Order: sequence, then C-alpha cells, then structure tokens
Amino acid sequence: MKRILLILSTILACVFSAQAKLNVVATLPDFGSLAREIGGDKIDIVVLAKATEDPHFVDARPSFVVSLRNADVLIDGGAELEIGWLPPLLQNARNPKIEIGKPGRVQASQGIRLMNVPTSVTRAAGDVHALGNPHFTVDPIIAKAIAQHIAQSLAALDPPNAAFYDGTYKKFEATINAKLQEWGAAMLPFKNQHVVAYHDSWPYFGHRFGLNIDIFLEPKPGIPPSPSHLTEVIAQMKAQHVKAVIVEPYHDKRIAEKVASATGAKVVEFSQFPGGIPGSDGYAKLIDTLISRLAAALK
Amino acid sequence: MWEVMFWPIVACILLPWLLVYLGLHVVQRGIIFIDIAMAQMASLGICLAVLLHLDLESWTTFGIALAFTLVGAAIFSVTGKRASQIPQEAVIGISYVVAAAAAVLLLSRAAEGDEEIKNMLIGNILLVTPREVWERFALFAAVGVFHFVFRKNFLLVSFDRDGAYQKGLQVRWWDFLFYAVFGLVVTSFVRIAGVLLVFSYLIVPAVCGINLAQRIGGRLLIGWIIALLGGVAGLFVSYWCDLPSGAAIVCTFGALLIAVSAYTLICGRLRAN
Repeated sequence: MKRILLILSTILACVFSAQAKLNVVATLPDFGSLAREIGGDKIDIVVLAKATEDPHFVDARPSFVVSLRNADVLIDGGAELEIGWLPPLLQNARNPKIEIGKPGRVQASQGIRLMNVPTSVTRAAGDVHALGNPHFTVDPIIAKAIAQHIAQSLAALDPPNAAFYDGTYKKFEATINAKLQEWGAAMLPFKNQHVVAYHDSWPYFGHRFGLNIDIFLEPKPGIPPSPSHLTEVIAQMKAQHVKAVIVEPYHDKRIAEKVASATGAKVVEFSQFPGGIPGSDGYAKLIDTLISRLAAALK
Repeated sequence: MWEVMFWPIVACILLPWLLVYLGLHVVQRGIIFIDIAMAQMASLGICLAVLLHLDLESWTTFGIALAFTLVGAAIFSVTGKRASQIPQEAVIGISYVVAAAAAVLLLSRAAEGDEEIKNMLIGNILLVTPREVWERFALFAAVGVFHFVFRKNFLLVSFDRDGAYQKGLQVRWWDFLFYAVFGLVVTSFVRIAGVLLVFSYLIVPAVCGINLAQRIGGRLLIGWIIALLGGVAGLFVSYWCDLPSGAAIVCTFGALLIAVSAYTLICGRLRAN
C-alpha cells in the first residue's frame, strides 16, 4: 500500500511539475539555444525555424500555430528578421500572453543597439530591415545580453525558479567571458582583414572580432548575384587580398566557390544558428567552430 | 485542432467549386498551364509596382496586376486561332517563361520586393484569415453567376469550337472574357493557397470527373466531391502528421487520382471480360 502511494505521489509530482513548466517558443534556433541554456529542464521549449533554414523565409506548419497558441513565452528577434512569416502565425494563434509588451513576449533586440540602421528606408536600397541589421546574436556580448533578458523574463513569469534562472545565466556569462579571451586571441592575427560574405549577416561578428566582413556576393540584400557585380567582387577581393568567403547553409555555395576559385580564397561554411553546421550544438560551441574555421581559412 | 484548422477547412469547402468548374474548361481546351502563366503575369504587374515604389497593398498595385492579367487574356484569346500550327500550350509556356524572366529583370533593378513576390506565389492555406475567405467567396460567387448566366456560350466555346464558329459567335471575344475572369479568380486564389494548390484544384478534380462521367453535370458533381474530399482530408493529414498544408493537400489529390484511375482501369477490364 505504501509503495502504491509512493508511486502515485511520484506520478502526481511528475504531472504537477510538468504542468508547472513554462511553455517557451523561440522563433529561431539561436534564441532557442540561449533559452535552453537558461531554462534547462525547468522549461519546455519549441523552436520554429530549423538551423539550416533561411530565417527570412520559414515554411509554416500546423504545429507552429498550436505551439504559439499554448505558449507562455515567445522569444523573437524583434528586428523584422521574421517579418515574412511570424505575423500571420501570431494572428492565427491569437494568444494574448505573448503579445508585444506583455511579460510573455521577449524581443531579443530590446536594449540592443542595432548596426546599420538605414537613415531612410526606400525599396531602392534593397531588402533592408528598417530597424537595422537583425543578425545580432552572433556577437557573444550581445548573446549575453539576450540571455540575461531571457533569464529575467523567465524569473518574472516563474518566481519559484528565479534563483535557478539567475544561476544558469551566471554560468553562461562566465563561460562566454572566459571564451571571449580565447576567441579574441585566435582572431587577433587577422585584425582588419577583409572577408567576403554571401549575405550581410555578419557585421556584429566582424565588429566584435576586428574583421571587415563588408564585401557581399549579393549586390543588394536579398537580390541574387549578377555577373557584373561578381566581376566587381572578384576585383575587390584581389585588391584587398581576401582569403575567405563565408556562406550559410541556405545560400548557393556554387557562387561562392566560383569567386573563390577565381581569387584563390577559401569558402568557409558558416551558420548563424547552433546546429546549422556540424559540431555546433550550443551557443559557445557554435562560436568555437566559426572561429576555428575562419582562422584556418585566413592563415 | 479546430482553432487552428477551422478557417483553412472553411476555405477548402467554400472556394474550390469554381476552380473545379473552370478546370473542366481548361482541361477540355488543353491549356493545362494557363493558371501558372496567368499568376506569373499578375506577379509581373506586382514587380512593376515594386519598381515604381508603390504600396503593395494599394488599389493602384491591384490595378496594375489586373491590367497585366488582362494583357495575358488578350494574348491568349488572340493566339487561340481556329486552326493553327502552333498549339495554344506553346504560347502559354512562352508567356510563362517570359513573364517569369521579366520579373527577375525588373526585380534586379528594383531591389527588394522579393519576399512579396514569393508570398504572392507561395500563399499558405494554413494561415488564411476569415476576411480573405469571405472576400474571395464574394468574388467567386459573382464570377459563378456570370458564368451561369452565359453558360451556353462559354460551354460552346470551350467544348465545341467549330459549333461556336458556325453559330456565328464572337469566339475571340468570349475567349477574352473567359481568360480575363479566369485570371482574376486564379490570381486571388493563388494569394491564399499558392500555385501548387491552385493547379491541383483546377486539374485533378476535372480529370477524375472526365474519367468517371460523360456528361458535364456528372463530371462537375464528381469533381466537386473529389475537391472537397481531397482538400479536407489533406488538411487533416497536414494536422496529424504536422506537414505543410498546401503540399499535403496536393499529395492527397495525387493519391485520389491514382485511386480513381485504378478504379476505372479495373472496371474497364471487367467490362471487357
């Protein structure tokens, strides 16, 4: 009898704690990864986009709406990166808990100074984001700020576990602080070198590690490369002695290979998202992988 | 599940009947890819609006897209000669590739707008809003009435062109009306459902109907049943297996067509024996 009671109470405890877990939805895998670091087993997390998917275009599935409808917390970029697919999903989910301004809505860009904010937004400038460049999580110092934002929001919504979230954040902060030395040292020999990227996703990364990632295979953001633009890029690469061309999983690698073979540079497969390239599950591991790949190419 | 799937299911019940009917015309005329060509024409119009820095939700943009659709209708009605060496399908194919390539050229000058164009051709039935459903239902009802009033002429022009010429009908004019209205319907449905789904709704139920029935009324009835079955079943599959909804419906249609073909094959064998 005692044993049955024990089993019953264990089951009840499980059910209770399962119900008490916060349902967290992250639009993109980088926010998902940070939320996992902070929330640990105290939250249930669903990440909408895959790490190998272009964050500008994500194909909606029915479960997305269900997840958003049941969410206690939604973490999104807040800088229009998901503007093509998130608003209609939210409209269908109609979940007041995750509306903008509610405690359940964590907008990662909040309190972050975005780079390259356009002075005027016209369609002539290309597929620009009016609020500034939204690919900011790849800067580890910004990632710390986002992690802190997530930790504070989770603590406010789930006070019994507030100390836990604070602890995991402190741990994450310490890991990143230690790693920053290592990463900075690895990139130091290549200070101010120019690097080519397919899309302008890397200004924050370049800024943090002293690189100029300022030549792009796309003539304008979101516009496929044209022959004359590629010719110009090749000339620029030769003039600046560029050694690396960054591509992401959803970009056309053949274009990068073409300009690389014309200039003797190396193609480096990069990802903004943990899990987007092999050996990059977890935020710190992702940056580790990016740094070591780039260092190998620039050598 | 109902909160998420309610409006997609309503859309799949209220809207496809007109596409099935138009599909019978399209299959009979042998112009299978007309819908894609028309949708591409309309999106070329949107590209031009992008180039002119117009607001994409505005009526001006809608007007430009509509004008391009009418240009398409004019091209197809002029080239659809009574007896020509060049099949209509060739003209449709050419219009499609030229419109698609022209869109690429325009966008390369315009920059941006890429996402809008993609959204226009990719539309997602899962995310349809009640307003979109009712707007299209009203449009389709109006077009349905129009087709019903002039059904004799439209059917004659599609199903018995020689008869239409003998009767002294202005075939080109009726062709133009058919294509213009068709373009309007397709373009408005593409926006909520995407090209793949529009194509399936036009062709698959019509082909099933032609397989199973001789008279137009019977074909239409079978087509409607197939469209309802495929749409709703596809949405359920999409929900249960968590698959993209449009693609799930299209594959359900594929499966239904295979089932119908197998059925007619077996029936044919039995009768032959």
